Amino acid sequence: MGQLNLNRVQKFYGTFEVLKGIELEVKNGEFVVFVGPSGCGKSTLLRMIAGLDETSSGDILIDDKRVNDLPPVKRGIAMVFQSYALYPHMTVFENIAFPLRVEKMAEEKLKAKVEHAARILHLDQRLQQKPGMLSGGQRQRVAIGRAIVREPKIFLFDEPLSNLDAALRADMRIELAKLHRQLRATMIYVTHDQVEAMTMADRIVVLNAGEIAQTGAPLELYHKPANIFVAGFIGNPKMNFLPVTCKGVSDAGMEVDYKGQTAVVPVRPHGGLVGRTLTLGVRPEHILLGAGDLSLKVTPTVIERLGAHTVAYAAINGEGENYCAMLPGTVAIRPEEQVLTGIRAADCHLFDEAGKALERCVELTDIDMGLLNPAAA
Amino acid sequence: MINRYRWYELVAIYAGILVFLGFILAPFVEGFLVSLKPLGLLFSSPYRFWPENGSFAAYYTMWESVPGFARYIFNSFFISTIVTAIVLILVIPAAYAFARFNFRGSGALLGAFLAVNMFSGAVLLIPLFRLMRSFGVLNTYLAMIMPGVAFLIPSAIWLLRTYMMRIPRELDEAAFVDGASHFYTLRRVILPIAMPGITVVAITTFIGAYAQQFIYALTFNSKTEYMPLPVGLFAYFGRQEVIWNELMAASFVGIAPAVVVIFLLQRYLVSGLTAGAVKQ
Repeated sequence: MGQLNLNRVQKFYGTFEVLKGIELEVKNGEFVVFVGPSGCGKSTLLRMIAGLDETSSGDILIDDKRVNDLPPVKRGIAMVFQSYALYPHMTVFENIAFPLRVEKMAEEKLKAKVEHAARILHLDQRLQQKPGMLSGGQRQRVAIGRAIVREPKIFLFDEPLSNLDAALRADMRIELAKLHRQLRATMIYVTHDQVEAMTMADRIVVLNAGEIAQTGAPLELYHKPANIFVAGFIGNPKMNFLPVTCKGVSDAGMEVDYKGQTAVVPVRPHGGLVGRTLTLGVRPEHILLGAGDLSLKVTPTVIERLGAHTVAYAAINGEGENYCAMLPGTVAIRPEEQVLTGIRAADCHLFDEAGKALERCVELTDIDMGLLNPAAA
Repeated sequence: MINRYRWYELVAIYAGILVFLGFILAPFVEGFLVSLKPLGLLFSSPYRFWPENGSFAAYYTMWESVPGFARYIFNSFFISTIVTAIVLILVIPAAYAFARFNFRGSGALLGAFLAVNMFSGAVLLIPLFRLMRSFGVLNTYLAMIMPGVAFLIPSAIWLLRTYMMRIPRELDEAAFVDGASHFYTLRRVILPIAMPGITVVAITTFIGAYAQQFIYALTFNSKTEYMPLPVGLFAYFGRQEVIWNELMAASFVGIAPAVVVIFLLQRYLVSGLTAGAVKQ
């Protein structure tokens, strides 16, 4: 079993509140990813679950047992560090065997376990080598091996792939996903890379400035971000935000006005916002060339041709921020030449003045229901 | 890296090295030459640096003029070895604690160690003498070992602490997560990795103990059989004359054990022992 509950967990450094009452439940066997910008407290939270950092207040429960005051090994967790943290003077075998040596496990049993772990991680041929002779990916696999021999209830990963190069990262991502399926263990994974978060997670926890901004399945975060922060954080390139004025409410959604153009955005109707300034969000990949429900004339300043896509950046006058569109790869646009771009109202997100999202009426058939609700899968 | 020098730059570099080495090594060379000369030639005028009909005779006769000399070498070696061993046993855990744990007063304590280092043992000779007398350890090996240890610990802690701070903290954390105690971590993880640092500390401590025992031996010990080398060399200062050639020969023979120890230790001075531990 590997059930984790966090009850109003807080962390102070002096008087500075790093984590502001985190409430979270992680079910047995779940792969949960913490993402957030640097300094949001995600690594601190992981280290508190591990027992490396003290918890200022609140409870950390593993399998319904309060573990705040237990050392890491008694919590039944294992951790993989960003920097691998291998013991350089020991062979790969001894590195993986280290936790078992600490337990004083009998030699035969230990050998069997280490070899089993090495087989899972394709390290059988490397057991007698020292970490210095291995590549980055192999080193990280040794670090993972050291975690799995203990058969912990919960695996904690602290940005384990961020030191690897891009190609290796993609491979390791797949291997980790396989490993999760094979071990059926609870895994908590910290990263700032949203591709890792989107591809591996059953559930993503987005942290911002010490608070949980949103928890949900990857596609749920993509299609229904709960607030402006999550909307801007998930998705690459970043979502575009435009200031609009609310004109009216109907069953079809909210009618908004952007520089004289109006459109009805299909969100759950919400009275009391009429006349207020709202923020309209639209993802770069949803911007079309030509007219839409809302149309914008823009002059691209930079155009990045990536083959599959063309990413165009334009400054919309007066609004400072870049307006970004992700268009088909062969689109006929040129820098400094004005083009007409369009936005479909159905693709739009709408946020109130506090940055909270108005729930979109998305066609849920577009989304895998199993992912939306992991319990149902 | 750009590694090309013009010929005159090369000449200048080697000339610089030569001057520097000459400056440092000249006393040794002269000392060695003196040890080869017969005593009579040393006072000949004009003075000749190169020994005519030089021989290694002094290296034989030195044992006869001061019969206890082998014992003095042994004493020096013995005292330095014990001092080094005690310093290492005390300093390794201490340096680990200073490098890793934040405890109240650690900064003040380190500062105090540095301050102690600024006193030379000579300043404290009289209080030390009284201390030794009340402990009743005057005229024993202990009288030379204890102050030696005390005055060598501070610099050893500073040296080793700096080295240990360069060992990534994640290694301790990983071991802690895997259930290892602090002592287990120190023994199985930190000690092997800190080996080059420990070797440096061992060498400096050994040399320090070899060099500084003179003053303690002179004041806290009056027994001939416990005399270390530096005091033993005085035996070559006769009533009438100083037997310079034998004195020089004895000095070289006396240094030999220390040189052997350093030579043996220096192979642990390998760099790059943490290769592959963490991604830098």
